Amino acid sequence: MAVVNITVNDQKISAQMGQTIYQAAAAAGIDIPVLCHHPALPPEGACRVCLVEIDKVRNLQPACTYPVTEGMVVHTASTKVMEARKFALELIISDHPLDCMTCEATGDCRLQDLAYAYGVKGTEFEGGRQHHYAIDDPNPFIQVDRNKCILCRRCVRACNYVNGVEAISVVYRGFNAKIAFGADSTMEDSPCEFCGSCVEVCPVAALWPKMSVGKGRPYQTRQVETVCSYCGVGCKLILHVKGNEIVRVSGADGAANHGFTCVKGRFGYDYVNHTDRLTKPLVRRYLLEGKPKAHAAETAHALSLPGNGHTPDPDMEWVETSWDQALGLVAQKWVATKQTHGRDAFAALCSARCTNEENFLAAKLTRQLMETHSVDHCARL
Amino acid sequence: MDEVVLTNDSQPSEHRFRADVLICGGTGCHSSNSHEVLLALESEVARRGLSDEVRVVHTGCRGFCSMGPVMMVYPEGILYCQVQSSDVPEVVEETLLKGRTVKRLAYQEPTQHQALPLYHDIPFYGKQIRIALRNCGLIDPESIDEYIARDGYAALGKVLSSMTPEDVLREMKDSGLRGRGGAGFLTGLKWEFARRSQSFPKYVICNADEGDPGAFMDRSILEGDPHSVMEGMTIAAYAIGAAEGYIYCRAEYPLAIARLKTAIAQAHEYGLLGENILGSGFNFDLKVKEGAGAFVCGEETALMASIEGKRGEPRPRPPFPAVAGLWAKPSNVNNVKSYAMSPQIILKGAPWFKAIGPEKSPGTAIFALTGKINNTGLIEVPMGIPLGEIIFDVGGGIPKGKTFKAVQTGGPLGGCLPAAALNTPVDFDALTAAGATMGSGGMIVVDEDTCMVEFAKYFLEFATAESCGKCVPCRIGGIRLLETLTKITEGKGTRDDLEVIKYISKNMRESALCSLGQLTPGPVMSGLRFFEKEFIEHIDDKTCTAGQCKSLVRAKCINACPAGVESPAYLALVAQGRYAEGLEIHRQRNPFALACGRVCPAFCEQRCRRGEIDEPISIRLVKRFMADQEIERPWTPARIEGPKLAKVAVVGAGPAGLTAALRLAQRGYRVTVLEKLPVAGGMMAVGIPEYRLPKGPLFAEIENIERAGVEIRCNQSLGDDFTMEDLFDRDGYRAVILAIGAHKSRKLGIPGEEKAGVLHGTDFLRQVGLINRGAAGGRRMPEVAGKRVAVVGGGNVALDAARTAWRMGAKEVHVIYRRQREAMPAYAEEVKAAYDEGVQFHFLANPVKVLGDDAVTGVLVQRQRLGEFDSGGRRRPIPVEGDEFTIDLDLIIPAIGQTTDTAWMKNTGIEASRASTFVVNEALGTSRPGVFAAGDAVSGPATVVEAVAQGNLVAVAVDHWLKTGEYARPRYETPRPDIAQLYDLDAYANAQRPHVPELELVVRQGTFREVELGFDEHTVREEAKRCLRCDLEWLDYMKIARPQAVTEEA
Repeated sequence: MAVVNITVNDQKISAQMGQTIYQAAAAAGIDIPVLCHHPALPPEGACRVCLVEIDKVRNLQPACTYPVTEGMVVHTASTKVMEARKFALELIISDHPLDCMTCEATGDCRLQDLAYAYGVKGTEFEGGRQHHYAIDDPNPFIQVDRNKCILCRRCVRACNYVNGVEAISVVYRGFNAKIAFGADSTMEDSPCEFCGSCVEVCPVAALWPKMSVGKGRPYQTRQVETVCSYCGVGCKLILHVKGNEIVRVSGADGAANHGFTCVKGRFGYDYVNHTDRLTKPLVRRYLLEGKPKAHAAETAHALSLPGNGHTPDPDMEWVETSWDQALGLVAQKWVATKQTHGRDAFAALCSARCTNEENFLAAKLTRQLMETHSVDHCARL
Repeated sequence: MDEVVLTNDSQPSEHRFRADVLICGGTGCHSSNSHEVLLALESEVARRGLSDEVRVVHTGCRGFCSMGPVMMVYPEGILYCQVQSSDVPEVVEETLLKGRTVKRLAYQEPTQHQALPLYHDIPFYGKQIRIALRNCGLIDPESIDEYIARDGYAALGKVLSSMTPEDVLREMKDSGLRGRGGAGFLTGLKWEFARRSQSFPKYVICNADEGDPGAFMDRSILEGDPHSVMEGMTIAAYAIGAAEGYIYCRAEYPLAIARLKTAIAQAHEYGLLGENILGSGFNFDLKVKEGAGAFVCGEETALMASIEGKRGEPRPRPPFPAVAGLWAKPSNVNNVKSYAMSPQIILKGAPWFKAIGPEKSPGTAIFALTGKINNTGLIEVPMGIPLGEIIFDVGGGIPKGKTFKAVQTGGPLGGCLPAAALNTPVDFDALTAAGATMGSGGMIVVDEDTCMVEFAKYFLEFATAESCGKCVPCRIGGIRLLETLTKITEGKGTRDDLEVIKYISKNMRESALCSLGQLTPGPVMSGLRFFEKEFIEHIDDKTCTAGQCKSLVRAKCINACPAGVESPAYLALVAQGRYAEGLEIHRQRNPFALACGRVCPAFCEQRCRRGEIDEPISIRLVKRFMADQEIERPWTPARIEGPKLAKVAVVGAGPAGLTAALRLAQRGYRVTVLEKLPVAGGMMAVGIPEYRLPKGPLFAEIENIERAGVEIRCNQSLGDDFTMEDLFDRDGYRAVILAIGAHKSRKLGIPGEEKAGVLHGTDFLRQVGLINRGAAGGRRMPEVAGKRVAVVGGGNVALDAARTAWRMGAKEVHVIYRRQREAMPAYAEEVKAAYDEGVQFHFLANPVKVLGDDAVTGVLVQRQRLGEFDSGGRRRPIPVEGDEFTIDLDLIIPAIGQTTDTAWMKNTGIEASRASTFVVNEALGTSRPGVFAAGDAVSGPATVVEAVAQGNLVAVAVDHWLKTGEYARPRYETPRPDIAQLYDLDAYANAQRPHVPELELVVRQGTFREVELGFDEHTVREEAKRCLRCDLEWLDYMKIARPQAVTEEA
């Protein structure tokens, strides 16, 4: 890559050809505020918060889209720039509810941070028209509050360029422009897959997980980085934990996912604190007590679920035990099976939820210990 | 390669016709039924057996849309206007068979009232140079042969056979053609950028998304000469190395799209589009893409997004289209007009093009003239032509004799320019420097009836509705700007709002993504720059002078009246015979009903909405009758505040001084009026002649004011009989109002002006007036009888002097005026009356020397021609050297303007401007504390009602100052009279304005009897009922209950 020499605020820096001013400045540790820009998305140049002054260029230009050129002289904090940024923020706030005290995003809101930084109180264009959209999208996952939407279009871009679903777009013009799903319908009626990437990139609380509403502010939760257990992609997640409860999941910048997740990773976490969740291994009583297994007919009877009118067989009852004992039992059974019926009586099928390492170990176990090649993976089916 | 050059020889020889009749089929003429005219003509020609001799052609736009449907007859070059199908038999009979012109269909030149049947004589076309429009209206746009016959595709032939792409680029760059879409970027350079981009394929795109309100330049070209655009695009494609092109045309132009598609098919058929064009190996094809009507798609990046099937929104540049445009490939986007001009540049050469217009903006400019202009239509003029020439020569000026106020150039994103900018040469740089923009070619003219705040708001409404909503400054900033402006038009604005407007505008201009957002504040900014006074009037006075802002304008008549007299209320009362109540309402705002009933120019009638239907209500004469009824019952003005000790002196007993005195007396002050002359009344007494305002009514009204407790002392001259110090220190006045008028005549400043026989207008009228008003005081009537008199000037004083001299038995009366009749400041009725009375007018003439030894024997007069525009929008007269004539005379009365006598002002601490008017603050306070001024001495010579208005205001200001010691911009407020409407307005739908009876011409000479005789009671009461009662409609608009009707008593 060719090197381009530019000057930012009297500081000479080297940039890469093809970089934007924002990228070059960021690399040199010069902060330029952004709002509609998101590093994982193509630049838009819509919010005008990252405007900078460039010598010999008419008008202020967005740092997030403007490419660097040799000899370019940029000012990121001139009076003109500061006034224009404040102006943009004042305008955004003038059509944005000032309900930060009850807003979910408070404490982790790009707009709030910028308003704080630029001293924008929301009194600048008081009395002007504001939008009053109903908050009524009926989907189970995402709360859509267009009143808070600042039309940065991060969600539109995330949906189009990251997930490739194109469920979100901007409809209508001018002040009436708004984000819409499908043909200005509901999220469920659109091609939306509820991956929640839109929620991930939303800089305010216009898009927010419904399950997380009222469950605590970002600064009231502990952020625990983890890897998603749903599949083997290995998406890094951040669990927002309050007390001992996960109240929200967001994407972490992992090598596999760069902050994005699928619907399961983001919204499928309710099992964690679910009352039905097994936290200890269960073993049937007859196995624990070394009894033989009941006959097939009886088994069917015994397996009948509670409440279906049949009395469960006490031998078939699930009993809590330790991992050592449970796994020990499994090993005993495998060995016995191999000895009794030969190695081809055994086959292993791995889950997509397993990691590569787990799959490797499963193959190793099957081939070396169980001495069979009958190992496969659900993803091949 | 010579064989590929197209000539007409390749076509089979055509039948020769004796005459061609061209009927305009542009959208303008089409909507005034030109198609019916076409059909009628075709059948009439067939019926008369002329089908072999006369060819009927349906052309594109001829440009003269206001006169549509337009018909041209060749070879004579006759142009017929507003032709209806019923006119067709006469045209065929007279013109096509007998070779005569049909005069009534010829263009009527409005100022000279002359029929101009020949196309090239019409001023509308006279100053035009047609390059892009050269074929519009001349050829059948659906025939490629006709285009080829007019050198069409010859440029393409030349390019493909003898020029390299580099040659084309050089030619285009040398021509200096700048993009006609509005930005004015060098077209040749743009092509070169696209050529340099090494990525393929490349695209050539024509921007035909013309969406400005009132603009139809591109449409007319596409409809009238589609091949010229296609040829230009093909040349561009060759130059940049493209094989594919798009014409992005808005779907609202169905005719243009249809004609383009026809033209593309024809070009294919002739091998002028498609593969291997003219055997050169060059391929190029064109597609028409219909836009869905979003204005923002005229922005090139939005346009390309739209072609790609995406939401039509701009994206930040760079990358520029020449690098990454349509489908991220190098693209060249130009406007229709730029492409249409290109073939001519190639054909005639860059030097030819560059020779037209100024160095930096060569060529021609195309404008769609609309709004308050006589010749609405499409024009092409050389760049650099003064704006005023477009409006007044090509455009034919402002209809209905109204005054030009502003012109909006550059469409809704451009700016407006005032009368003072009429000399601005029209080119990219000069218009920008003046505060507007060139834009794509919309030109909207507005007259005095347009409110500039509302005008700016209109464009802002358009721009905000058309904003795509992508960037914050445009999406929200535009709305906030509009809200601020709306507040002002509703009378809810504050001075802070002006700062808000400037703040939003500045930052939108600096930070919006595309030019739509950046230029949205343009009209507001230019409006504020040139018409700030109007914005402030809306804010401080809650008035809209132009009468457009609905919340502020209860009725246009009230609004138009400088004193704000409640005409609908007193008209309603007069209709019921309740004259005293009507008069009471009148006097609340203007105590001079008798005088104004006779001499007021009736601003109310000029704006009366009934006048838009038939004729305005005869408000002044209704008022005169109403006031006359009460002459026998003298009015004693009511006190509205208790008596006060403070004394106020008013210097000057004219309408301003007397009104101020009355209002202060009503507020309890002790007021003395000091008058220099032996009679009170000011110009009402010694300026306006007896035949217009008899002394009876005048003195009756002055007595009313005295009855309010005002003391009037005559023969008291400031500087001679008393000084300012005397008033404050000796006599103990707390405040002084100077209402000393403008009684001093301006000098001609020519040799011989000192000779006997030169008597200045105001001196002449004063002398006659004092004698007529019974205050001769030893003065003698000037000797006029039997003399030859010339009055110099075109104002009311000049006309009064001329008509007075005529009454005094002058043998000849001449009026010498340096401009033309339309530019005379005198009232049109006065001018007409003077004509009737035999006064001889010499227009565009100016005296240069008074002839004679001691006494005047004549005057040497120099002819004038009209030059550039002055700051008021009138054309400056320029002497024509060597063109002089003499008028033999005995008496010369110069009446070229009046000023205030300021000789006494030395060492008084009171400042006067260069125009000899007092320098006053917003509260009408002069530079000396406690001294205020009003009337002609502040405004310069004006009318009675304007002086009354200032009298009202200065009284409020003085009252406030005396109570608080502070100066405040005054507002004179009176209760709103809501008078019920008791008759059925529909019954008066067809009622006509009555004619005013006047003194017969034969008995006028030798007497000063009142000329206008007034109406009888029946006529007046019926006339009052023609009033549309806009004031009641306003109540509905503001959601205020209408007054309850009570049974009519009379």
